[in-house]
Order: sequence, then structure tokens, then C-alpha cells
Amino acid sequence: LSRDNRNGSEVGLEGRRTFVLSGAAMIGAAAVATFAGPALAVLADPLMRRTSSSPDAFLPAGKPSLFSGDEPVKVDLFADKVDGWNRVEQVKVGSAWVMRHGGKLVALSTICPHLGCGVDYDPNAGKFLCPCHKSWFALDGSVESGPSPRGLDPLELKADDQLVAIRYRRYKTGVAEQEPA
Amino acid sequence: MRWVWAWIEERTGWAAAVRGVFDREYTGGAGIRHAFPAVLVYLFVQQALLGVTLSLFYSPSASDAWASTAYLTDQVTMGWFVRGLHYHGASAFVVVSGLYVLSLAASAAYRRPHELEWFAALAMVGLSLAFGLTGNPLPWDQQGFWSIQVELGIVESTPGGAAIRNVVQGGDEMGNLSVLRLFTIHAFVLPIVFGALLAFAIGQRRRHGVTPPLGLSEHEAARRTVRYAPSQLFVDVLAIAITSAALVAGTIATHGSELYAPADPVEAFQARPEWYFLALYKLRALFEGPLEPIATMVAPGAVAAFLITAPFIERAKGRAGRTLVVVGLGLVMTGVVGLTGWSIVADRGDEDYQKALAQAHSQAQRARELAFKGVHPQGGTAVFWNDPDFKVKLLFKEHCLGCHTVEGFGGDEAPELTDYSSRQWLRGLIRDPNQPRYFGNTKHDDMDAYPEDSVSDEQLTATVEYIVSLMGDPAMAVNPELASTGKTLWEDELECNSCHEVKPGESGDGPNLSGHGSKAWVARVIRDSSRADLFGEAAEMPTFADKLTDEEIDQLAAYVVSLREPSESK
Repeated sequence: LSRDNRNGSEVGLEGRRTFVLSGAAMIGAAAVATFAGPALAVLADPLMRRTSSSPDAFLPAGKPSLFSGDEPVKVDLFADKVDGWNRVEQVKVGSAWVMRHGGKLVALSTICPHLGCGVDYDPNAGKFLCPCHKSWFALDGSVESGPSPRGLDPLELKADDQLVAIRYRRYKTGVAEQEPA
Repeated sequence: MRWVWAWIEERTGWAAAVRGVFDREYTGGAGIRHAFPAVLVYLFVQQALLGVTLSLFYSPSASDAWASTAYLTDQVTMGWFVRGLHYHGASAFVVVSGLYVLSLAASAAYRRPHELEWFAALAMVGLSLAFGLTGNPLPWDQQGFWSIQVELGIVESTPGGAAIRNVVQGGDEMGNLSVLRLFTIHAFVLPIVFGALLAFAIGQRRRHGVTPPLGLSEHEAARRTVRYAPSQLFVDVLAIAITSAALVAGTIATHGSELYAPADPVEAFQARPEWYFLALYKLRALFEGPLEPIATMVAPGAVAAFLITAPFIERAKGRAGRTLVVVGLGLVMTGVVGLTGWSIVADRGDEDYQKALAQAHSQAQRARELAFKGVHPQGGTAVFWNDPDFKVKLLFKEHCLGCHTVEGFGGDEAPELTDYSSRQWLRGLIRDPNQPRYFGNTKHDDMDAYPEDSVSDEQLTATVEYIVSLMGDPAMAVNPELASTGKTLWEDELECNSCHEVKPGESGDGPNLSGHGSKAWVARVIRDSSRADLFGEAAEMPTFADKLTDEEIDQLAAYVVSLREPSESK
């Protein structure tokens, strides 16, 4: 493009500019896509895979004698856990309220189904209370009042003479139906 | 839609600004020589975005860095590619900023009033190297750890360098603080400085214009003048596309960036710096001992001083000045290229280095496979705890090493287990069982020594072959003829059978040798070596039958057997 041309024909210049610009924009976008695309894939990786896991096994909660009283007992459950790149041995993966119900031992998750706070036991009321948004739960886990969309989640429990064991699971919060998290 | 643009334009004035950029004049015409700042902008954006992406998975601590990098590289979707592209992008930074300096030098674009752009370009070369220096150790693998170790050692040897090292390293020793500091420099400090310099250089070009090629008359330069868009813009985009394509191709061809085994401060490693430091590396190798500062300080310092003062050298010397600068630059380039090439060729031909490299690669692969199970939070090298062998070695250390020696470590109260029950081991035993290496420090002292005057070398070889044949280990190929000669010697001449039975179950004064040295035999010894058909009542070795599980005993036995180098029969 000569100087004369530049001065003489602005229309020609504009035309060439538009043509080259759209080509350049396409090539440039393709170049940027070579790194932006893979970067997005890395960003979205947790959508495609599990990034942490605990074994889906019964975890020891304690001797049966521990749960002989009338009040619910809170037990911490320990297991090996994979968290991203780490494998940690015997860390707390969760807790459960264990109590007798009609002569049978049952376990409830301590996670409030509303927004995931830890549920406390109020010995005066004989009920469970979520301290965050005041959801009250009966001893069988059903909601009595407050914003929780469902009752406390029951956990599978296995007991023999020696040991009480619980299969710990997490469920989605904020929904009425129990769904695995 | 149009009114939205108009609304924005009225407030920002961006369209006018872009038009201003497009209308800028390129005296002397467009060309690849003017494209390097644009490519640097592209690379800067690429590296910044990839760096942020990497930091989604990277944990900058000595205990987490390796494991998180392994996770990113081997498990995260496209993680290897993002890391590889970032790694090769760093090389491209060095190349393109170097080319930028050369392009300025070619048209003498360091002359008044372009000095500051020249300085900024030089500083960008230095910063590209600093990016590499601080980025390569971040995975905290063997390569990265030992490289930064050496580099900080060089820093320390300069005047005032000890303090710099301490600050960069975060103390006297490499550790969590070192990784975090290197990361902070790499991810925050350098990008900000580099970005500012790049913007400054581009601003200088805008203010003073680009320099036309030398030897172009003023009239000719004016005649060839173009506007940025479309002419130079087209070249810029083309250069970016070529860079990008080369990086993608390089990343795929090299499967991203290597990740070596986790940093282990007690395991030496033949570290080589990145290619852009090989010239300095080779130079340092040339000046060993007291002359080392020539390579680490004097030569690089002189080159830097020459490049920085080039504009003034030329002005002071007039026409000869240009020649001086060109010749000086030529010498520097020849030196850098020559030393780099020499270093690469020398390593290619260095068998020891190639062997160490192959070993490093296989160890890296092993570590990365083990990392899939998750790495213990104690640190990168904890990945080897996932190795089943590791558990066995730990068991061995706990229960056996107090009395038995393996490869120079351990007690001498019981027989050494290095190369246990190999032909060589058996020969030594028969020649003199009472050496401390064998049964010298035990209560087993009934067996006679068989020195050369009682058993010839050939006879010994045959006897050993017979014992090996009793082992029944397929890894130990037996020469049947030799073994049968040995059997005759065993029974008739040496009368070994007066103490050692060879039929399973029978007991004599010495251990029954059927299956001797096999995994099953070793396991029986570990269970209870005082059985009548083994070492009998004189055995001092503890009984492990009730201390260890069957599985552990089997693993230990397999480990002891694995200490034996399978050798050919002579």
C-alpha cells in the first residue's frame, strides 16, 4: 500500500482493512482458543470427575454399650479419605447421632438438610436443633418446625455384640427428596 | 445494537483509540521485524491465563507441590496440556524477547530517542529468564529442586548473595517458604513488572515511531510507509498464529512438560538447567575452581553491561561505533549458541548422564503411577509409601535389619542377606562359614570351613550348583551336569549329607537344604528357624510366626529372595 494510495483512496483502505481485520480476528481467535479452550477444560474438571472420595464401607462407631442410654450420642466416623492429590489416613469424614428407637439402634446424619449446618441435640427439649436457621427435628429425625425441606437423613447402621458400624453418606441439601451428594 | 456501541463509545472513546492505533504510521513499511512486541503481548496473555489456570490445582508448599503437580498432570482433564503449554510458552518468551532485542539491534533502534525501548527489551529478556528460574522449581521435583539449589548456590557466591539467597529461599534451608516465595515471585512480582515493561516499550514505540531498516534512504522509507492496519496488523497476527501453532505442536510432540520424581534432598540428581541456561552452565564448567566467578559473574556481567551501554558506545565512537556494537553482539550470539550447542552435544554423548537420565525417567514414571492412589500429606516423597515394596522394606527394617545386613546397612549378628543364597554367597559360606558375614557371630559353629586345599575351585563350583539345584527357583538356571557332579561330591567325598538332609522333612545336625534359599524356605525360617529340620535349638533368631501375619512373612521372604542377583551357572 503506497503513500499515494493511502491519501488517494480512503475507501480502498477501508475495504482492505475490513477484509484483513475479519481474517485477523478469526486467526487471532483461533490462536487464543488453543490455550483458552484447554484452560476451560481444566477449570471445569471437577464437573467431570470426583475430586475427593471416602470408602463406601461401614465405619466403626463404637461398642454397643456406648449407646445404652436414652439420649442420642454423637459419634465421629473416621476413614481414609482421598482429597485431591492427597490420601489421608483415618480422618474424620463425618458424624452421626446414634440412639435407640423401638429397641433398635438407628443413626441420623448430623448435617441439616436445609443448608448443611451441624445439627445439635437439645437435651431439655429432647429434640434436635439446627443452630443456623432454627429447624427443629424430632428424635426420629422428622422436621417439626423451621426451614428444613426434609427430616434428618438416616444412615445405614450395623450392630453386633462387639461393634456398632455406620455407613456414612452425604446427601444434597436444600431439596425435599434425599439424593446422594 | 448500534446505539449500545454508540453509548459505550461516547463514554469510553475506545473506538477512536483503536482507530488511532490502526492509523499509526510504520515508516519504511510493515514487516516481521516489528511484530515481536505483539507476539510478546500474545504470549503474556497466554502465560497469564494458563498460570491462573494452573494455580487452580497447584499448591505452593514443599509438602504439596509435587503431589498437586502430579495430580494436575496425570489426572486433571487437559491438565498435562495446560502445564506443557505454559512450560513451552516460557521458552517462547525467552526466544521472542531475544528476537525483539535482535530486531532492534538490526535497525540500530537503540539510537536516540529509542534508548528506553532498548532498555525495556533487554530487561524483558532478563525477566523471561527470571520467569524460568522461578517457575521451573515450582513442581518441586528432582529436576526443579536441584536446579534451584545450584542456581541459588551461584547467587550465594556473589558479593551480598548470601542475603539474597536467604530472602528468596525464606531461610537457611529449602522448604515450604522457598516454594511459596518462588511462587510469589513467579506469579505476582514478575508478571506485574513484565507487563509494565511491555506496556512501556509499546508506549515508547508509539511516541517515537518504529525505526525503518538501516540503509533505506529517507525518501525511500517515506515512500514505503504504511498504516498499522491492515499491513502490520496482518503480519502481527500471522506471527502470533505461527507462535501459537509451534507451541501447540511442541506441547503435543513432547507430551507436555516432564515431571520428575519428587524432590528428595538426600538423593542426588544429575540436574541440567533449561536450554536457555545451558550456555551459562557450560561456561561455568569451563571455569572451575577459583575461576568460577568469571563464568558466574564476570562474563554475564560484561555482556549485560555491553548491551546496556550499546547506545552510548555507538554515539561515542561514531561510525566505528556501529561496527563495534554489531561485532560485540555477534560475539555474544556466537558464544551463546556455541556453548548451548556444545552442552547439548556433550550430554548426548555422555553415557553416564544418559544412564542417569533414563533412571530418572523410570523413577519419575514409578512415582507418578503411585501418585494415582493419592499421596500422603507428609510430602512428595511420601508417594513411595504407596509402593508395596516400601512396606516390606519398612517391615524388614523394623524386624530384620538389627541383626542382618543388606547392602552395607544393618547388624552383623546374623548372616548378611545381600545377594542372599546366590552362587557367590554360597561359595563364600562354604569356604568359611565362620566369617562374621555368615554365621561367625551366631551360635552355629559346627560346620567346618572348606578352604582351597580341601575343596578345589571346580569342586566348589559343582557343589554350589548342586545346592542351587535343591532350591528349585526357576530364576536360577541350573547346569544339570555340574549339579550331578556336585551331588556325587556332596554324598561321597565331602560328606555334607552327614549333617544336611536334602529330603523334605528330615532333620540332621545342620539345616535340611531341600528348597534352601527359595521363598518358601525363607518364609519357614522367618516363621520359626528353630525347627528341627532347620537350624534347631541353637537358633537365636526370633520366631515370627505369631508376630507377623502370613502375608507379611511371605512378603518379607519374597523381599529376601529378591536381594539375590540371578547369576548364570559357571
